[in-house]
This record gives sequence, structure tokens and C-alpha cells, in this order.
Amino acid sequence: MSIAIGDTTLATVIALVNDLTQDWGLDTSPPPGASTRLAADLQFASVDIIQLCVALEECYERRFGFQDLLMRDGSYVGDLSIGQLADFVDTQLTQKEPLS
Amino acid sequence: MTVQTLFIGLDGATFTVLNDLTKATEGPPVMPFLAKIFAGGVRAKLRSTPNPLTPPAWVSLMTGRGPGHHGVFDFIRAEERGEEVFFTLFDSRDCRVETIWSIASRQGKRIAALNFPFTAPPPKELNGFMVPGFVPWRHLRRNTHPASVYDRLKSIPNFNAQELAWDFEQEKQSGDQLSDHDREAWVSYHLPREKQWFQVAEYLMREEAPDLMAVLFDGVDKLQHQAWQFVDPAYQQGELSEYHKRMRELSLSYFRQLDGFIEQLVTAAGPGVQVFFASDHGFTASTEIVRINAYLAQKGYVHWKDLPEGEAGKRRDNSYFAFLDWSKTTAYCRTPSCNGITIRVARKPGETGIAPEDYASFRTKLIRDLEDFKDAKTGERIIAEIHKREDVFPGAAMTDAPDLQLVLRDFGFVSVKNRLPAVEPREYPVGTHHPDGVFMAYGPGIEAGKLLGRRHITDVSSTLLYSLGLAIPSDFEGVVPPAMFTAAHKAAYPIVIGAATETGSKDSSADSMSDDEKGKIMEQLQMLGYME
Repeated sequence: MSIAIGDTTLATVIALVNDLTQDWGLDTSPPPGASTRLAADLQFASVDIIQLCVALEECYERRFGFQDLLMRDGSYVGDLSIGQLADFVDTQLTQKEPLS
Repeated sequence: MTVQTLFIGLDGATFTVLNDLTKATEGPPVMPFLAKIFAGGVRAKLRSTPNPLTPPAWVSLMTGRGPGHHGVFDFIRAEERGEEVFFTLFDSRDCRVETIWSIASRQGKRIAALNFPFTAPPPKELNGFMVPGFVPWRHLRRNTHPASVYDRLKSIPNFNAQELAWDFEQEKQSGDQLSDHDREAWVSYHLPREKQWFQVAEYLMREEAPDLMAVLFDGVDKLQHQAWQFVDPAYQQGELSEYHKRMRELSLSYFRQLDGFIEQLVTAAGPGVQVFFASDHGFTASTEIVRINAYLAQKGYVHWKDLPEGEAGKRRDNSYFAFLDWSKTTAYCRTPSCNGITIRVARKPGETGIAPEDYASFRTKLIRDLEDFKDAKTGERIIAEIHKREDVFPGAAMTDAPDLQLVLRDFGFVSVKNRLPAVEPREYPVGTHHPDGVFMAYGPGIEAGKLLGRRHITDVSSTLLYSLGLAIPSDFEGVVPPAMFTAAHKAAYPIVIGAATETGSKDSSADSMSDDEKGKIMEQLQMLGYME
């Protein structure tokens, strides 16, 4: 499923999260925002975080080095907020060229 | 609109089992419709990729190219960085060459591809429908093409995405030693799952009638991993326990149901359809555990890292990956499913591994040491074949392949665990992959009752394109088996070799991969099975 790039990276990430979780039966009140934590608030398992990362790469048609966000000192991070993810993508967008 | 070509994938299907199930012995055959296909069509053994494993084999079947070209060698891709190795999953973006789904699409054919691995995320320019396999249900919607079709599928009576999709918790059992109870549950789990895929295929065929309708039933493989002793005719002799009889009947009920699905799909496609069946590999019995890294440790190539204390250590010990001291290890096996040995070469100053100039002599010695891995009682080699990668994986992606590809004497998958002895008999035989799968064809223009010589897995994609009336790309490795079709059909529809495949942005995508995705997560990988 393709999601259009939003006005801000945060808006894009939120749109993708909403799209991804629409069938999960989650109670999403309040709706996801920058401070929403993927694991604690939206029941993301690690594989779901990865699917979200793939969705973001598909959306922006470029690869992001998500390992720099997901791994710290050789271990995977326990949780991540939507805002952290959006900030990371923002930083990458200023550094990386599209794939083709 | 009518379906022109129907392709039914049977993951892991082998004539060892299918020949038995299509015979009338003490009653009617378990698979009467397949018996009709045997009698009225063509069949041949199908040689798989050098490592007969789902990822390289299905991608070769879908691309007409070997793993050295398409670049998918395993479930997991590893990246070595200094003293660390990061593991990540392959996905469709890692395939460097064009698939038949894209080739047919760009030539105006409508396709439907259901449950094939490494089709997620789906290509954007697909002309038709794709519901990928090997994707958890929570991500099926996003990976289905077009997006609108997911909601349509939900209108199918009894549609259940959770039942249809890949359940990681279930699948991780495929290579484990299970209790009798769990094994029974495992087989039962695949019965409703296949029905879901059948219903989706039937629905899309009825509603959309794509030119190429393709569906993969992967329960054959999963069931045979755990229930091989109940389906292989060789294990049905002598005194059989009640449990054995019950498991056999349960397993046969799976194949009976599958036969019904095949009959309904072929019938629904209409009399004008050409039907093809193929498996990515065959099956046989593995009777021993081969701890390849433990053997390499004895020879000084592998150095283990100390496991952490407590639960973390247990998880680490059960992991899909080798837990090694990268500062000292020079050659090792990355995963059980790869059945290969990777030589660690220090490409830059400061990197660990052997010096590049020592590679040839190091590899020669390593091969000799692997040849010396022998059965203490019989003196027979444990590793029947050792292939250098340039011999079996020629192509632009060869450097991503293991340096040595192994074939064990029982065709089993290796263990990467730190346990001794390095080789020991299994408690009971388990199913493992055999390089010879199946290839069958049936319908108008196809010879009847013919048994062909062994074909190659890359022939399937050529044959499907030919059936669709399309030219075979000049860079395909596979060919259309001429003896599969009648002389009149070939005269009316000559086999044409056309332009090479289009690679588009795939190459640049593959090139940019090294910095990406190493954060793909361990729990997703551990479920993939092929453990001891």
C-alpha cells in the first residue's frame, strides 16, 4: 500500500503507522502522535518495527540506515517513539540521495 | 476473459511421496486428481538450486536465473563489519533480476501471484494481484497489491488473515524436535491454512480471470519436515504404533484436501487452460545431526564466544546464528539453512580474518579438512560434496555466496550449535530437502502420460512465459522443455527467444544495501527453523 509523503516527516510516519495498524484492533485514543511509543503504546513487536522501516523506505524510495537507530552498543533498543523515528528519517533525508 | 496459464506451486513436493499417493493400493488413491494429471500430462524431476532451500530456489523459479545472478542465497543476509557480524532478512528488494511477474506484466499480461516468498514488498508496476507469502498477518494489507484487494478478500466467506498468513511462532517449530502432541498440532495447523489460500485463488480466478494464475501451497514442505516418517513409503513397513497410524492418517488428510483444491482450481480454470506444477526442492530423510561449526572449532577455524549468563545465554544458545569470537574465527557456517562455509578475509587494515593473498591456499586446506570429516565407524565422508562458489554460483552476486557450498551425505541441514559430538544420529528421522523436486504439466497442447528426463528449476519460468505466448528472455538460464509440448502445439506456437530481462533500478538498490537493515530483528529470524 502506498502512502503519500506528508507535509512533514512526522505526518508521514503517523500516516504509515495508522495504515499499518488499521486491522490490529488497537484502542488508538488518543490517536498516535510524536510521543507515542511503538512497543508500549501500539504493541509493536520488533518485526512490526522493521515492517514500518521498510514502509518508510518504500514511501521515500530510498534506503535509510535504520540500524543506527535500532541498535545501540550492539544491542537492539527496547522501544521507540514516533517522534524519534521521524527525527531520524529527517536527519537521513538531509544526508542521503534517492536510490535512482 | 479466461485463465490462460495456471501454476500451482507445491513447496517441497517430491515424487517419493506423490507417486505413492497417486497409486490405488488398498483402496482408491489418496490423490485421485493428481493421478489423472500423471496419466494425462507430463512430469519430470526438477533439479533445485545448489542449496535446495526455499529462498534461492523459489527466486530462481520466479526469475529463470541462478542465485549467483539473483543474489538471494538464504533467509538471512549477513554483513561483516570489523569484529561484528549483523544479520538481516532478505526481501523482494534484494532480488537483483526481473521476475516473471514483472516480465509478464510489462507485456500486458495480467497476473495473480499468491503466497510466493520474497514477493514483499510487491513491485509497484504489477499488472494484476499479489498476496505475498512469508509475511505476518499484521503486514499483509500493506504488502498486498493492489491495496484495494485486501478489503475484497475480507469479503470471502470465512476469510481469516491470521490463518492465511505466516505465523512466526508456528513456523519456528519446523526444524525443531517436537513432542508427539506438538507434532500432531503442527500438521493440523496447516490444514485450514491451505484452505485459506485456496479460497483466495478461487476467488481471484472467478472474479478477475488473470492470464497467469499462480498459487503456492507451502504446507507440503512444512508437514514433511515434521511428519516425514509418516508419509515416506519406506517408513510404512513392519509394526506401526497407534500414534504412527494416526499421524499418517492426519498427514494423508492434508494431501487428500490438497488434491481436492487442485481439482477445483483446474476445473474452475476451464478446459482451455495449461496447468503447471512445480516444487522448489524435493524431500528425503535426515538421520544425523552434523554440527559443522563444532567440527571447524576442532580444526581451529572457529572460536566460540562465551555465552552470557541466564536467560540471555539460553536465548543466544538457541539462536539461528553462530555466536563466535570474530577476532579469531577464520571460517564458519553462518546459519543452518545456508549449508555453506564463509571464509573471513581481512579486506582492509585492521579487519579480522585471513590475508587476501592467503585465500587460495587457505581454502584448499579447508576443503581438505572438510573432506576428512568422516564417520568414525565406516570411514564414509560426512560431507558428500564440497563446491567452490565460482563453480555453482557464477554471476554478479557470487561474492555474497558462501565460499564453499556443502552437501551432507544425508542431504540434511547443518547445525551451528556449540555442542559435541560433531556428528551423531538423530533420535528419529526428520524430513530434509532433497535436490530433486517435481515439475508437471497438463492441458491442451501438452503431451499425455509422458515421463521426461530431469529438468532444472530455471526451466519453469521459461515454460510459464511460453505458455502465456511470450518470448523467453535471452538471458534466462532455463529453457522450455521441448518434449513437454505436442508437435502440433509447437508448430502453432513456436518457442521464441526475445530481448533480455530489464533490471531497472534493482542493481542500484542492491548496491546500496550494505548500510541498511541490519536492525532486522532476531525473533523474526529464529522462527525460520532448520535448527537441530
